[in-house]
Amino acid sequence: MTDKLKEVKLFLGPQHPGMHGNYSVHMYVDGDLIKKARPMPGMLHRGFEKLMERKLWMSNTALIPRICVIEPDINEMVFAMGVEALAGIEVPEKAHWIRMMILEMARVATHLFALGGIGGPTGIYTSMYWAVAERDLILDLFEKLTGARVYHIFIMPGGVRKDLPENFLDDLSTYLESLEKKLPDFEELLLKHPVIHARTKDNIMLPKEVVHDLGVTGIGMRSATGVAYDLRKVKPYARYDQVEFDVPTATYSDALTRIHIKFAEIKQSIRILKQVIEKMPAEGPVRVPIGTGNALKIKVPAGMIYTAVESTRGEYGYFIVSDGSDKPYRIAVRGASYPQGLLGIEKYLPGTRIDDAPLWMDTMGVCSPEIDR
Amino acid sequence: MTNSMSNLKGLLNKHYQISEFEEPIAMELIFDVRNDQLLDVLAFMKSIGFGQLSLLTCIDWIEKNEFQLVYILMNWDSGIHALVRTAVDRDNPKFRTIEHIYPGVKYYERDVHEFFGVEFDGNEDSFKHLFLELWEADRPMKKDFDPEAYSEKKYGMRKYRTEFPRKIGGE
Amino acid sequence: MAIGDKVEIKAWEKLGDFFRGRSIWMMWYCTGCGAIEMPPTMTSRFDMERLGMGPMATPRQADILLITGYLSVKTLRRVIYSYEQMQDPKYIVAFGSCTINGGIYFDSYATINKLDDYLPIDMYIAGCMPRPEAIMNAFNELQVKIRNNEVDGWKRYKKNYDQYKANQMKAVGEVFVHDEFHE
Repeated sequence: MTDKLKEVKLFLGPQHPGMHGNYSVHMYVDGDLIKKARPMPGMLHRGFEKLMERKLWMSNTALIPRICVIEPDINEMVFAMGVEALAGIEVPEKAHWIRMMILEMARVATHLFALGGIGGPTGIYTSMYWAVAERDLILDLFEKLTGARVYHIFIMPGGVRKDLPENFLDDLSTYLESLEKKLPDFEELLLKHPVIHARTKDNIMLPKEVVHDLGVTGIGMRSATGVAYDLRKVKPYARYDQVEFDVPTATYSDALTRIHIKFAEIKQSIRILKQVIEKMPAEGPVRVPIGTGNALKIKVPAGMIYTAVESTRGEYGYFIVSDGSDKPYRIAVRGASYPQGLLGIEKYLPGTRIDDAPLWMDTMGVCSPEIDR
Repeated sequence: MTNSMSNLKGLLNKHYQISEFEEPIAMELIFDVRNDQLLDVLAFMKSIGFGQLSLLTCIDWIEKNEFQLVYILMNWDSGIHALVRTAVDRDNPKFRTIEHIYPGVKYYERDVHEFFGVEFDGNEDSFKHLFLELWEADRPMKKDFDPEAYSEKKYGMRKYRTEFPRKIGGE
Repeated sequence: MAIGDKVEIKAWEKLGDFFRGRSIWMMWYCTGCGAIEMPPTMTSRFDMERLGMGPMATPRQADILLITGYLSVKTLRRVIYSYEQMQDPKYIVAFGSCTINGGIYFDSYATINKLDDYLPIDMYIAGCMPRPEAIMNAFNELQVKIRNNEVDGWKRYKKNYDQYKANQMKAVGEVFVHDEFHE
């Protein structure tokens, strides 16, 4: 009789204060321990891959940032890299540096948001208040540069849309100095906090042997294998080979180590941004036209290509197929959190507790819109 | 760097007689294999260092009446992406699973099944829906499915008035 | 009777609305992309709490449901489920252009085009996505409207329940959440 009452089916559903984004995990629970878990994606599904086939190449630049809501610039970057490689055009020098600056600013903003998001599952709401306020100052800088806070539509095939406004680099360096002064406070709040230690030390491990089998990339891979497998070092794009930075790694992947690595990556991104401010060319064109001038009538030559960049969650790529017409034939999106959000939840959540499910999503990096597309 | 690309091409030519390669961008290689060769080629690629499967996707070539499955593999030590393509019949799309080689492909196969209709033998979860719930129409990503007509019929659009009191430009 | 007609209010409800308009509890549900501008609105920079609004975890004790952006059909099923669990009086605010006419996803097979057919909306906010200042402005106006007894979404829902249900069944099929174990 008591066997039948032992396991309960529970939905850690979409409407939950500790859940990140519109995602759901269905599980069988025995007390607090999870016995079986299955992810339930698809609640943010909009059919992007079908919609992209129905729009012109340049019209797609307005649609694609919406695939990954938290870090929209990586979508524009991989699309632009793919189209440029198929069309065979070279981007001017200043555009590469501006692109790198935008990608690193987006990386700092997203890591801050993720560190703030730890406040929901653990109860340390102070981190959310501090981190979201800091991230808002970066969004102000984006607004000065591109005109919008969240969806920028700035990196396009051929370069970037416009040149930098005046005094932008001074504003950026003032902001970086003020952020560096606040980082020790964040460290004391998040990394040395006894509650965080109790919740995350030796908890929700990712074993080293399964990293390649699952296809996990990004922080999950670097914290388990101990090798600097980062696309910015292995296959550099956009002048990453001309700046110096380290890639933090570890060999023991529990949740606390992954939070440490996120923190270290913010510091490395600040280091890259300082070098970009010094080395940015003062003048030069920022955009070259594709085709003969009318942006809405460009035709990309036929071919297939797969381009990828390193996002905060791992390898993010687009597989573009063109048949020579003015609309894409097929674009497939490789979301960086697909492995850890789907197979990772099915295999590595059983054995942990209910309150660890949102922590897995936060530390490994699971962004639900890029799984559902 | 180019050393490892030519090494790879040489090995593939020697063991599997593959000689046509496309290189759209640096450190990326695309080639076609036949259906019966695919599992051997993937197991071979895994043994020479391509330990990660980045993506499994499908292209609908409606004029040639076939689906083309594309497996994208990544070798982190040398930085090469390899795209392995194979063709499946469009009217009766069946193929085998590669879950014993790359376990991470399980949900990608469910994805391709849900949107294109390709059945993967051996993946016991592949008939279960993942992204779409209670879906009864045709498989959505095929080229003969019109999403706008479906959206208008099932969900309805907002009607705007089309007669205005005054014409622009006089009268 | 059409969905948009007004319904009359009782005298004691006017007193209740005076207090309700100053303390609204928001249900914590990020339904779509507009939810990324909710943390800045809720936290210290734009601070929604000075208007009296705070987050609430369960639908049983919440007053307002925010539809932040587009709604895919799968989410609509769960939103209807949660909306019907909320107690009266309850309000809905719809963010963004996707709730008005489908927005940039008007030709998608998985998103709805006109939210007004399925749930009664009290206020729309324009934008893609709306800025935190626009959201605060909308909440302010909503509070003024509540105090003037002008919002009656929940009454329209009860009065026209059959029509709303018929629309929902056509788009969604059934309002029941099956589990992923497929047992």
